[in-house]
This record gives sequence, C-alpha cells and structure tokens, in this order.
Amino acid sequence: MADVRTYSLIYVVLLVLGTGKFAFFEFLTYELALAGTIILAVVKVLLIAGYYQHLLEEPRAISYMMGMAVFMVFLLTIAAGYSIQ
Amino acid sequence: MSDLPPMTSVKRWLVTTNHKDVGILYLGTSMFFLVLGGLMALLFRTQLWVPGGTGLLSGGEFNQAVTAHGLLMVFWFLSPVATGFANYFVPLQIGAKDLAFPRMNALSYWFYLASGILIGISFFQGGTYAGGWTMYAPLNVPTYTPAMQATTGGNATILGLTLFVISITVGTVNFLVTIHRSRAEGLGLWNMPMFTWSWLLTVWMMLFAFAALLAALLLLATDRLFLTQYFATEQGSGLLWAHLFWFFGHPEVYIVFFPALGIMFETFQTFTGRRLVGRKWVIIAMVLVAVQSFLVWMHHMFLTTINLEIKTLIMATTIGISLPFDLMVFALIYTMVKGRVRFTTPFLFSLGALVLFILGGITGVFLGAVVLDYEFRGTYWVVAHFHYVMVSGVTALIAGLYYWWPKITGKMYSETLGKLNFAVYFIGFNLLYFPQFLAWETPRRVFHYAEGAQIYHQLSTVGAFVFGASFIIMFATFVYSFLYGPKAPENPWEYSRTAEWAVPSPPPLENWGGRPSYASGRLEFVEDSAAATDGGVAQGEGAAAEAVASHEEEHADHASIWPFGIGIGMFVFFLGLTGITPYLVQFAEARGHSVVGTADDPNIVYPALVALGLAILGYTLFKFGVEQFDAPEMAIAERWPFGGAGNTKMGVWVFLASDVVVFGAVIGAFVFMRLHAGWGNWETIPFASWPGLLNTYVLLTSSFTVIMALVFAERQNKKGLLGAMGATLLLALTFMGVKAYEYGYKFSIGEYWWTSLEHSIYFVTTGLHALHVILGVLIALFMIYRIMSVDAYLEDHRPVEFFGLYWHFVDIVWVILFPLFYLM
Repeated sequence: MADVRTYSLIYVVLLVLGTGKFAFFEFLTYELALAGTIILAVVKVLLIAGYYQHLLEEPRAISYMMGMAVFMVFLLTIAAGYSIQ
Repeated sequence: MSDLPPMTSVKRWLVTTNHKDVGILYLGTSMFFLVLGGLMALLFRTQLWVPGGTGLLSGGEFNQAVTAHGLLMVFWFLSPVATGFANYFVPLQIGAKDLAFPRMNALSYWFYLASGILIGISFFQGGTYAGGWTMYAPLNVPTYTPAMQATTGGNATILGLTLFVISITVGTVNFLVTIHRSRAEGLGLWNMPMFTWSWLLTVWMMLFAFAALLAALLLLATDRLFLTQYFATEQGSGLLWAHLFWFFGHPEVYIVFFPALGIMFETFQTFTGRRLVGRKWVIIAMVLVAVQSFLVWMHHMFLTTINLEIKTLIMATTIGISLPFDLMVFALIYTMVKGRVRFTTPFLFSLGALVLFILGGITGVFLGAVVLDYEFRGTYWVVAHFHYVMVSGVTALIAGLYYWWPKITGKMYSETLGKLNFAVYFIGFNLLYFPQFLAWETPRRVFHYAEGAQIYHQLSTVGAFVFGASFIIMFATFVYSFLYGPKAPENPWEYSRTAEWAVPSPPPLENWGGRPSYASGRLEFVEDSAAATDGGVAQGEGAAAEAVASHEEEHADHASIWPFGIGIGMFVFFLGLTGITPYLVQFAEARGHSVVGTADDPNIVYPALVALGLAILGYTLFKFGVEQFDAPEMAIAERWPFGGAGNTKMGVWVFLASDVVVFGAVIGAFVFMRLHAGWGNWETIPFASWPGLLNTYVLLTSSFTVIMALVFAERQNKKGLLGAMGATLLLALTFMGVKAYEYGYKFSIGEYWWTSLEHSIYFVTTGLHALHVILGVLIALFMIYRIMSVDAYLEDHRPVEFFGLYWHFVDIVWVILFPLFYLM
C-alpha cells in the first residue's frame, strides 16, 4: 500500500487532469481536444487503477483479466463501428 | 446458521449452501424447464403438420410457443443443467470442500429459479414474449409491435432473462475464484480433469459474453419499461441490437457446448480405458475456441448492411474456428481406436453426441460462407444445423446424467432401460431434425410452407414425439433406479480416473475425510495437521493464514436462509417492474407527449410489488450482511495464477471485470449510435459542461476519502475511519444532488428520456452510473452502521478495501462519461 503522501499527490494530479480535459475543449480545436482528452482519460484510469485500487500490487493475472475486459469492450465497439463505415 | 437439516426435509433445500445440494437443485429445476420447453416444441410441431397450420395454435400462440421454446431451452435448460453438474462435480474434481462463496452459490440458484418463474408467469400476463429467442430490434419494442408483443408478459420475459443473466454472473464469479484458488495441492491447471477444464473455459466465456447480454437487456428493459428509444428508432437500432446480442450469442454456442464436450472427454476416457489422445493439444484447442468465439459474431449479420470487408474477415474467422474442433473430434475418434470400448449407456450417448456434432458442424460451415448464407439465412437449414449442434450437446449432457447418476444417488440404473432410452432418443432425434435439412427452403418461425415440404415436416413432427418419448423413458429409468436400483459402489466404472470416484456414493457433506493432495503425483488423502508440519506449502497466504484456515475449516457453515430470502425479494421486485410501463405512459401523456407502451391498463398491484420487493430486499440483504457465515479458504491449495489476492478480493475483481464489459457495452452503444448518426450530427444533451466538471471533482475527492478510509482502518483509527466513510457518503450524495439538478433542469424545459435517441442514451448511461453510485451509498451506509455498532473493519480492514475497489471503479466510469457526454 502506498502512503498518504502518494495518495494525496495522485489526487492532486487527478484533479489537474480532470480540469485539463475541460480546458482542452475551451482552447484547442475539436480534434486536438478529442485526442488530448482520450490521452488524459487513459492516464487518469491507469492512475486510479494502479494506485487507488492497488492493481500494481496485485498478482499480474488480475491486471491481465481487467485488460481482457477492456479489450472486449474495444473489440465490440471498434468492430461494430467499423462495420458501418 | 450452520445446522443443515436432513435431505428429506423441505427446509434443507431452502437453506442449503452446500455445492452438491445446489447442484441437485440446478439439475432438477433444469429438467423441469426441459419438459416445459419440450412441450412448447410439441405444440408448434403439431401446428406444422399441414402447411398453414392445423389450427391448434393461433398465429400469436405459435409465435409465443416458438419463442418460449428457444428461450427456455437455451437459457433455462442448457446452461443450468451444466451448472448443476459443475456445482456437484467441479469441487469434487479439484479437491475442494465447496465453492469459494457458498451463500452466493445458493443465491445464483434462487435467482435462476425466480427468473424461470417469471417466464412461467409471463404466459398469464397477456402472453409471453413472441418475437423469437433472438429478440431482434425493432420487433422487441412496443412501438413496432403495438398489437402483438406489447404485453406485460413480454416485459416479464425480458426481465426474467435479465435476472437469469444476473444469476449467471454471480455463478461465474464464484466458479472462477473456486477453480483458480481452491485446487488441491499438486493439481496444476494442466492436470485438471477435462470436465473441469471445459467448465473453466465456459465460465471465462460467460464472464465476458453474458455481460454484453446484460447490457443489451438493460437497454431493452429501459425501452420497454421506461420508454427510452434505443431500439425504437430508424437510426441503427436493429444493428445495435444485433451487435450486442451476437457478441454474446456466438460465444453462447460454445458456452452451451463446452460442458457437453467435457462430459464427452470424461466418458470417452472412462469407457475406452484410455487417456484422451493428444490431451494437451485438446486443451489448447479448447482455449483457442474460447478466444476465437469472440471474433466471429458478425456471421450472424451477413444479411444486414454491415460492409463487405468485415463480412469477408468474419467469414475467415468463422471457418478458422472449425479447425480446433476438428482436432478435438479426431482426438475423440483416436481415443476410441486406441482404447477398448465398452458400450455402456453414458458412452452410447457420448458417441451419439459426437456423430450428431460432426453433422451439425459440417452443415454450419455452409452458413459461415457469406454467399451461401444469403441463401440459407432464415430457413430451416439454420434450424436443423442449430439443433444438430445444440442438441448434440444435450445428448452429451444426458450421457453425463447417466455417468454421474450412481455418484449422486448412490443407486445403479438399468443398462437395458438406458440403452433403450438411447435407441429411441437417437432415432427420434434424427427423425425430428434430419428432414428439416431436406425441407430447408421453409422459412423459420412461420407455419406456412410449400406443400412439397409437407412430408418432411410430418416426419419431423413424428420424430418430435418419438424424441419426446425417449425422455419419458429416461425419467422412468431414473425413477426406477432411485426406488429399486441396486446400491452403487464408490466407483462403478472400472477406468474412471477423476477424484469424485474416490469418495463414497453419494459423497459425504464435507466431501473428504482427509485433505486431497496430488503432491506425490497421484491422489492421496492426508491429515491437515500432518500437512502443516511436513512441508505442505500454502500458496501466498502465509503460515498464519494456514493455521487460522485449517482451524476454521472444521467449522464451515452449510446453511443460510438469506439467499432464499434475497431470491424472493428479487422475484417480487422484478414481477412488480413488469407492470409499471402503463404508469410511465400516463406520466408522459400528462406532459403532452405521445408514446407507445404496453397494451395493459395501469394496475396498482405492480407498483405495490415493486415497493414490497424493495422492502424484502432491504431486509434480507441486511441480514445477509450481518450473518456470521464461515466459508474458510483452503489452507493449502494450488492458486496459480491468482495466488496472493485472497478469495473475496479476487471475486470483487472478477465482478468488476464483468461490470467493465456491461458499462463498456453501454458506452459502446452510445459510440456506435453516434457513429451511425454521423459523429458531428449528435445533439449534446447536458445544458452545460460545468456540472460534469463539478461532479468530476466530487467523485475524485470521494475516491481520495475512500482510500483514506482504508488508511485509517489499517491504523485501527475508528474516528478517522468513520470520518472518511462519512465524507465519502456525503460526496456521493453531493454527486447525486448535482445529477438531480441537471435532470431537473431538462425536465423543466420539457425534455425527458423518451424525447429522442440522444436523450435516451444520455439519461440511461448516466442513470446506470447513478445507480452504481446509489448502490455504493447503500453499502457505505451499511459499513458506517457496522463501524458504529460493532467496531467493524478495525481488526480486518479488507472489506473497506473491497468497497474501495468498487467505488474507484465507479469513479473510473465517470472519467469516461464526463468527456463523452459533456465535452465531445
């Protein structure tokens, strides 16, 4: 388990990243904001899962399982989306 | 509650959590639904005796019978009968005393039963669902079927299936944790019995596939109950349903077939007296099929408007999935060649299953080719192929019934009757389904067909009754055996190799006298105390946990009434939900909107049932939560690759993996519909982005307070723990307050969830997230009560961590929803 300081630091980073998404759509073009938001969202998810859910400290198999679940979602969404292009 | 009444007592079956009892409950109930589904089939086969129908059924009744037959057989018979076998035999085969979460196991069963009763009741609520077991959109919503399926019974069918999927999810979590973390010492994955292997892969497929179905059903249920527009628009509704349903539906074929395959492997080994040829390669082939099963779903959509490139790709993956099956079929054939076959009843059924499956598999290759599928789609070719595959699975499952009957009941059956059963079954099966290949031009699901096909349909109908008669023989054989059969020995089959045959028939409550171990390379029973001192190694839990667990194992509980109570609560709640649509219609019409709901008038009984169901759920869940129930982890066990996590924690993670797919599919539905409409043509629903940003801050802060709660729990700081949990609760309520403000604003300007597709997607997706928040609030309230009343979580902080896992997941979902709905 991480210490309180690490948790606090991550909390601040999460708040900044959350604000960043909002700011992107205020100041950047739509495409740039879209790309930037996706990157920030991925970073936020990894920080929460890795440090708050302690996925980094769990058996690697749990990360693989969660990765598999996320893969399934992307598979369904991207393949379905592509099928109507 | 730990006293388990005798098996002759009704109370025993209401309170039991023992895996063997639950297995028997599953097997018995699934047999009931087999008979019910079979009666439906006999009804519509009789209607099909002459072109245009005999008049036995009206058009609507025919549709109901066909639909109910499909749903009952696929969902309420095929998977549950396999679940029954798995409940009974997987713990025995891996050397466990029970499943990891015995009360959850009982809960799975009661949800299953409740869901089945909902289907039964649906017939009396204006008619059950009648749009086919695939429930294609837009025929699955009232807008397009105001006079046909817009019944309260249609709602009950969809909700019954939803409850069934919830039951499956609970069971999936349980089995994955059990098989991965409760294998006897020395029992590595490679050495697991083939039935357990097949079930392990089945539940892995279930985890992801049924989650997609749950998402689809949740959306369909909101359409039917709350009048949202997911499947009622001309903007891709049909394609959306097909993608979601078949993403589940194709793996479902293997989910249904794999346990049957596992039984075939077991029985072939036992009755040829030879180890399965190419065993390792067979396992690899099964893993390949499990993976590939998620890459072929669009071959069910060749006649839709999906593009040719993806059709071609899917055709290749579909043909590809037949290759691992070829390996398995040849392994079975070669096992027979290398061994010495004994034609007992279980073997005959297994061999029959193999023959039927080969025919079913070959005829399926036709459907995998795009061009041929254009011709065959929607015809009796599909019906015949589908039944040759699925009912070959049934054939193997019946082999399992005969194979394990002596173990379950302690009685031998009559081989003569069993073989008679097989002969009638096999003749009936082929007389029923083979003519359907010859009558392939008949369109499925209608009773009008060309007169030239009449002879085939009449043969098929005769076959249906012969096939039905074979089940009467089967039940008679089992009843006779149970009443008058000779006592079964520990192992009636000379060459059976798996651990269930090493204990008495039927097995004792605790399964084993000593602790099963494969450490020496063969099954042995050792004393726990000896094992703890002679070098037995607990995987990842430490010596202290070993000592505690081995002490606690002696006090394992096997009885709790609360799973049954929760089952009743869910049943009443879901039954109430089936009839609330008319109230929603009234609500919409009072606001000047014209909407189409179910045909029935409002009935106060339904809202009352919803309230009663919630009250029962609240009480029983609370009692479930505070009940002292010991289900100790095995002290010494093989746990690769999930050692070090703990059973409950792994269970939470598996549940979250399932929830990722549920939420992901709902979010994917949004992305798909927006792509279909044109990404830039989408109307943003929230009135401003600031409430989304504000709620982002609120939820992130609540994630921080939850993690602080864990820190305080670890430090055994009660005030800190209470404060952090209280802060989390307040932040969650703040989140809900902001959400209510947002929703309220939309309502104030006359915009509701039925207003447009964009509105539906916004309200449902954020509403599903809000539902997760509400569940989190309830859990937090319960935990705060426990901290205040019994100083909970100070000695054992793990529940705080488990709650945190859930709560952070809710936060992660919002990380995705915020930009999707407020910024993009």
